[in-house]
Amino acid sequence: MSSKGKRKGNTQERKQEIEEKGRAMKEEKQIVIDVSHVSMQFRIAGEAAGSLKEFLIRALKRRSQSRSRILNALDDISFQAREGDVVGIIGTNGSGKSTLLKIISGALEPTGGTVAVDRSKVQLLTLGTGFDMELTAKENIYLNGALIGYSREYIDKKYDDIVAFAELEGFMGERMKNFSSGMVSRLGFAIATMRDTPEILILDEVLSVGDMFFRKKSEQRIQEMIHGGATVLIVTHSMDVILKNCNYAVWIEKGKMQMAGAVREVCEGYRKYQNGRKK
Amino acid sequence: MNGEQIKQYMFVIRELTGREIKRKYARSFLGILWSVLNPLLSMTVMSLIFSTMFKRNIENYPIYYLTASILWSLFTGSTNAALTSLVDNKMMLIKVKLPMSIFPLSRCCTALVNFGYSLIAFVVMLLVFRIPPNPYMPLLLLYVAGLFFFSLGLGYMLSDLYTVFGDIKHLYSILLMLWMYMSALFYPVESTTPQMQAIILRNPIYNFISSARKSMLYAQPPNTAEWLRMLCWSAGIYLLGRLVFRKTQSKVLQRI
Repeated sequence: MSSKGKRKGNTQERKQEIEEKGRAMKEEKQIVIDVSHVSMQFRIAGEAAGSLKEFLIRALKRRSQSRSRILNALDDISFQAREGDVVGIIGTNGSGKSTLLKIISGALEPTGGTVAVDRSKVQLLTLGTGFDMELTAKENIYLNGALIGYSREYIDKKYDDIVAFAELEGFMGERMKNFSSGMVSRLGFAIATMRDTPEILILDEVLSVGDMFFRKKSEQRIQEMIHGGATVLIVTHSMDVILKNCNYAVWIEKGKMQMAGAVREVCEGYRKYQNGRKK
Repeated sequence: MNGEQIKQYMFVIRELTGREIKRKYARSFLGILWSVLNPLLSMTVMSLIFSTMFKRNIENYPIYYLTASILWSLFTGSTNAALTSLVDNKMMLIKVKLPMSIFPLSRCCTALVNFGYSLIAFVVMLLVFRIPPNPYMPLLLLYVAGLFFFSLGLGYMLSDLYTVFGDIKHLYSILLMLWMYMSALFYPVESTTPQMQAIILRNPIYNFISSARKSMLYAQPPNTAEWLRMLCWSAGIYLLGRLVFRKTQSKVLQRI
């Protein structure tokens, strides 16, 4: 499951600590996310008429030539995450990572297989989504907080912490359309991770943005959560993020599971694959 | 749902509704005041044009028109906004834990809040035109409740349909135009042909409008048939909307 190859640099100690922790937990902690043989098929272009015109044309043709194409976004994906795990999901763009996340968070129903997870505990964090750019940052904290399940009292209580963590003091009365993308993602991150015990946190390409200082800070926050017993799922196409944070990795390519297991082995495989593609 | 969930549900609807209202007036100087001014200004325009035309049959034409127009705006405001609610909030749909129906619902609540502001204008106009108060006036709130549920039910269906056909938006605006002329907003129903009258009298929206006019202007309650029609239309469309929405909910995210 975990590998013991030597790594240079000062992250080694921390990394080992994470891996050991992860391994220890694997033995005693219960499974919180169980993805088993999940498949997802989308019917594209051919079948789903995007407009009435298309629909009528198709109805007239009586679908004589079935142009519906079925896209296998995900094909037989299985993995498990135990309490306290930090699972990294890696893959190139369009490999089905985000679809998998949507299925795990309950937004999409898979066409095959099952996902066993307590959806009320899942929190999905994607960048800058759910913000209304016409509103001020303050209004967005309440709106976003409400949507992801915080009560008004809770947001009132945590408001200052959120602002401080996002480093946006003095900007809260500004409309968010004037914010830089870095500011938007900082605020999104701050809101989503302000929960005392976020049990399952899903991060979609969140850790690879922002300036270096914020990245450090957000990684630290993730570490705190892991120590608090949170289970984290990180989706990214950056191997750095996976190597630094995860204790288990899943590599998905074109909807198929390529590898799953120890972080370094999976990353090695992924690197080889990428190099192969470049040639 | 337990107490805490209901509280959270209400909080989310309040936040979403507040957001829609802030958004609507985000760029205007007068802001929410427009919700009061708008019906008044359109009343002025319509009165200038039509009151001479119908002077003989309609007393207090501005109020006659305003009563219908605020109800009509509630209906169009809710359904038009609900129509795009799922597609507009695509990103939020993925994150939120609550039922998707809160998005059309909060859009309809926004229209209801707007109606509340129009009601201020309406009451002021009742005083200006010295309409004598009568015991049936509060019934207006019941008609509004009925119309709200009617619009909400239709809004559910439209929002769902819009995820399948983008063209519905354009079709619906044409349908609304037709519907408006069939609702006798600014002319008495008697001034049309018998065939038209038959259609207008069967129009659910006209039912609400005529009952409201009766109560506000002529101090009469609706008769039993009118009560029944209003009840059936609002309950029926609301329940149908919920049913359709529930059936298709799981497919929505795949489509948008």
